[in-house]
Amino acid sequence: MYTQTKYYYPYHSPFDPCKPIKVKSYETPPNLYMGFQPPSLPQFQPREALYHGTLWPALFSPYPGKREVVDNE
Amino acid sequence: MNKTMPPEFYQLLEEIQAVDFVLVELTLYLDTHPDDYEAIQQFNHYAKQSKTLKKQYEKSYGPLKQYGASYSTYPWSWDDTPWPWQV
Repeated sequence: MYTQTKYYYPYHSPFDPCKPIKVKSYETPPNLYMGFQPPSLPQFQPREALYHGTLWPALFSPYPGKREVVDNE
Repeated sequence: MNKTMPPEFYQLLEEIQAVDFVLVELTLYLDTHPDDYEAIQQFNHYAKQSKTLKKQYEKSYGPLKQYGASYSTYPWSWDDTPWPWQV
C-alpha cells in the first residue's frame, strides 16, 4: 500500500543562523496511484461523502491541517 | 427577539447539500466514464431525490433559486433573512 504523507530531511548548514527545520512533509493522495478510476468502487453514504470530501473511500486523503511537525533528532 | 430558524431547516439544508455533493461527484465521474450504467442510474436516482428535497424545502422556507427557477411565496420573500451566508 502507499502512504498518504511522505517526509524528507532538508540539509541544515552549521552556519545557518535560522532554527533548523529537520523534517518536512508533503501529501501524496490516492489519486496519484490510482490512474484511471475503476467502475463501481465502494462508496460513502451521502452525508459521509460530504464530510470526507469524496464519494469513494479509496480516493479519500486526510490532508491534515497545521499539525506540529515531527521534530526528531 | 430576532428570527431563529427551526432545526428542521438546518437538517433539510444539510441533506440537500449532501445529495448535491453526490451529484457533483457523479457528474465528474461520468465525464470520464460515459458508459457506466450503474453510475448513471445512481445519478438519476439522486437527481430525483434532490428535486423532491428542494421542493419540500421551498414549500416551507421559500425559494432557493430566483428568476423563475423557483416558485415565489406570497408576499415576495426571497430577499428576507437568512441570506445564504447568514444561514
